[in-house]
Amino acid sequence: MRLSKGVRLAVALGLLTTGVACSGGESSGGGGKVQLTLLSHYGSDPAKGGLDKMLEQWNKENPDIQVKSEVVKFDDLLTTLTVRQTGGRGADIVSAYGLWGGQLQKANVLASVPDDVAKGINSSYSPAALGAVTTGGKLLGYPTELNTYALFYNKKILAAAGITKPPATWAELADTAKKVAKRDAKGNVQVEGLSLIQDGDNKSAHPFESLLDAAGGKFLGPDGTAQFDNEQGKAALKLEADLAAAKATDPSISPTKQFRSGGVAMAIQAGWWVGSLKTQMGDKYSDVGVAPIPGPTVGSKGSLAYGFFMGVNQRSKHAVEAWKFLAWLNDHKDDSGVTGMGQYLADMGLIPPRTADAATLRKSLTDPNLVPIYDAATYAMPEPNMPGAYEAKTALHNSIMTVLADGKSPDEALAQAAKAVKPQ
Amino acid sequence: MTTAESSIATPTLRAATARRRGFHREGRAAYLFLAPALLFFCVFLVLPFLFAVVLAFSSWSGFDLSTIQWAGVKNFTDVLSFDGTFVRPILVNTLLFAFGSVALATVGSVLVAYCIDRLSFQGFWRVLYFLPVVATVVAIGNVWKMMYQPAGLINGILNKLGVNSIGFLSDATYALPAVTVVHAWASIGGAVLILTAGLKAIPDMYYEAAEVDGANTWRMFWQITLPLLRPSLLFVLITQFIGGLQSFALIIVMTTDGGPVNATNVAAFEMYQQAFKFGAWGTASAMAMVLFVVIFVITLLQLWIARRRGEETS
Repeated sequence: MRLSKGVRLAVALGLLTTGVACSGGESSGGGGKVQLTLLSHYGSDPAKGGLDKMLEQWNKENPDIQVKSEVVKFDDLLTTLTVRQTGGRGADIVSAYGLWGGQLQKANVLASVPDDVAKGINSSYSPAALGAVTTGGKLLGYPTELNTYALFYNKKILAAAGITKPPATWAELADTAKKVAKRDAKGNVQVEGLSLIQDGDNKSAHPFESLLDAAGGKFLGPDGTAQFDNEQGKAALKLEADLAAAKATDPSISPTKQFRSGGVAMAIQAGWWVGSLKTQMGDKYSDVGVAPIPGPTVGSKGSLAYGFFMGVNQRSKHAVEAWKFLAWLNDHKDDSGVTGMGQYLADMGLIPPRTADAATLRKSLTDPNLVPIYDAATYAMPEPNMPGAYEAKTALHNSIMTVLADGKSPDEALAQAAKAVKPQ
Repeated sequence: MTTAESSIATPTLRAATARRRGFHREGRAAYLFLAPALLFFCVFLVLPFLFAVVLAFSSWSGFDLSTIQWAGVKNFTDVLSFDGTFVRPILVNTLLFAFGSVALATVGSVLVAYCIDRLSFQGFWRVLYFLPVVATVVAIGNVWKMMYQPAGLINGILNKLGVNSIGFLSDATYALPAVTVVHAWASIGGAVLILTAGLKAIPDMYYEAAEVDGANTWRMFWQITLPLLRPSLLFVLITQFIGGLQSFALIIVMTTDGGPVNATNVAAFEMYQQAFKFGAWGTASAMAMVLFVVIFVITLLQLWIARRRGEETS
C-alpha cells in the first residue's frame, strides 16, 4: 500500500517526536559500578566546597556507587529541572525548593520516599522543616536548607533615635519605623524605616506571611484555598499600608543593597541574610541586631519557614542506590555528634533542619543574631507548597504591591488576591 | 492519427518527457540541497509550533509527556476571561509597549538616518548608533536601571531642575513608559542601518529637480524622502513591531518580575512565568496562540495599508 506524501511526512514527524520523547536518562551502570547524578544550586562557595567534600568522602568509601554533582544557579534550577526531565535526561537526585514540591509531585517527577526512610525523617526533623517539604501529607525527600524569617535592625540607627530595644509589638514596630525614616527635600529616601520586600522571588509575600503568622493567621489551607482574606490578614496588611502612607517603607528600596550602608533601619528577612551581611559589612556587622518578628500584642511573634529538600527522580534507574546515598549524606555524623549535612548547613549560616543538630549547634552559637533565627523554627508557619501555591504567592505579592506602591485599600487588595488563588 | 501527424507528435512528446525528467532530476537535486534547511525548519520551528498548538488545548504541568490531557478550549476561556490578568493589563501592556517603542524608534531612526545621510564620516555615525544593537540586553537594562534609580542620573538632573525624584521603575504610572523608551533607544540602531540604505537608494535627480523648483529642505523631506522611503519604513515597522510584541528580556532585567503590580508585565514574560515557574504549559501555550493571532492580524493590517498606498509588499 502506497502512502500519500502527506501521510508519510506525518509519520516521519511523529516518529521524530516519539524518539525525542522516549530518549532515556543519563545515569548508567557499567561493570557493576553505578553513576548517580545530583542536580543542585550549590555552585558557589561555601556551599559548593562543603558539598564536594562530602561527595568526595562518599565516592572514596563507595567505589561501586559514584555520585557526580551538577550545579546551576538557583534562578535556573527549576527551568533546568523541567527541560532535562522532559527530555528524559533528569538527574537521579534533585535538590529543589519546597515550594515547587506540589508541582513536581503532580508531574510525577519525584519517587515516593521509602517507608523506613520516611519514618526516620518524620521522627528527627523540626515541624517547620517537615512542613516545608511535605505536600498533601506526602513527604518529598530529605529536608535540607531551612530558613526562617526574623526582624533585622541596625542598632546604630535605632540608638540615634533614642531606641535601645528592638520593637516587641506592631505598635512599637510602626513607631520605630516612622521615627527613624528619613527623606531629603527632593523626596529621596535616605533611611527606610522598615523594609517589607525581598530581592528574590519572594518579594513582598514572605514578609507579609511572617506578619500574618504573628497575627495568628494562615496563608493557604491544606486544599490550597486562600485563608488570608480575614481579620488577621487585613490587620497585617493595614500595618504595611500605614507604614507606606507614612513613607516609612518604600518598595523601591532594595534592602540587600541598602541595609549594609545604613540606608535601611529595619528589614524582615530570612536567616540566610546573616551570612551575607557578615561578608558585606565586615567590622560594621556588629551594628546588626536580629529579633523575633513582633505580633500585634505583647508576647506574640511570628515567622515563615521555607525549605529545600533532596529527593530521588521517579525515572532514576538506580533509586535504591540514590536513597542509600541520601541516607548517608543526611545521617552520617562527625565527632561532635552533628550530622555532616547539619554541620554543612550551619557553616553556611543556615538552620540545620534536624532537631538534634539544631539543639546541639544552638548551644555553641557564637553569633547571638542566629538565636532568634534558630528559635523561629519552633513556631514558624511552614510555607505552603501544594500545586498552585506558587501562583497563589505571586498573586498575593501583586496585591500587596498595589497597597505599598499604589495606595490601594488593604481590604480590596486581599479580596483581589483571594479571588486569584485557584486551588488545583 | 495519421502517420505524418504521428511523426511530428513523437519528437514533441519525447522532448516534453525529457524536459519533465530533467525537471524532476533538477527538482530532486533542489530538494536535496534544501533538505538540511528544511529539516532545521521542521525540527526547530514547525514541530515546536505544532506542539504548542496541541498544548494550547491540553492540560500539562511539564516534565512527563504521558501526562498531557485534553482540555478543550478551557485554556482559551481562562486566558481571555476579563476577570483574569492576561487581557488587561498584560495584553494591553504588550500592545502599548510595542506601539510605543515602534513609534519612538521609527521617528527617531528616520531623523537620525536623515541626518547621517547629510554628514561626513557616515560609517562612523552608523556604527555609533548600531552599538546598542550589539550590546547585550542585560548590560543595556542594568545601565538604564541605574540611571532611573531615585539617586540615579535622570533623577539627579530632575532634582537640579527643582523637580522631585520620580520612581521610574517603582511607580506603576511611569514604569511602562520608562521601559518602552529604553526598548526604543536600543532598537534605533538596526532601523537606522536599513533606513540609511533606503535613503541611498533615492536618486539624487529628484532632489535636484525639487531644488530647481525652489523647494526647501522641509518640503523635500515630506514630498520626496518620506514617500520614497516607504518600502524601507514598512520593513522597519513590521519587524520592529513583531520584535516589540515578543520582547521581554529587557523587562526582566529592569523590573525582574514585570512589576510594579504587573505594570510592565507583557505577554511573552507571562508565558514564560506560566510555563517555567507555575508549570501551566497549557495556559502558556494558549497565551502564545493568542499573541500569534494578534501579531498576524497586525502584520496583515500593516501590509494591507501599505498595499492600498501602492507599495510592493510581496
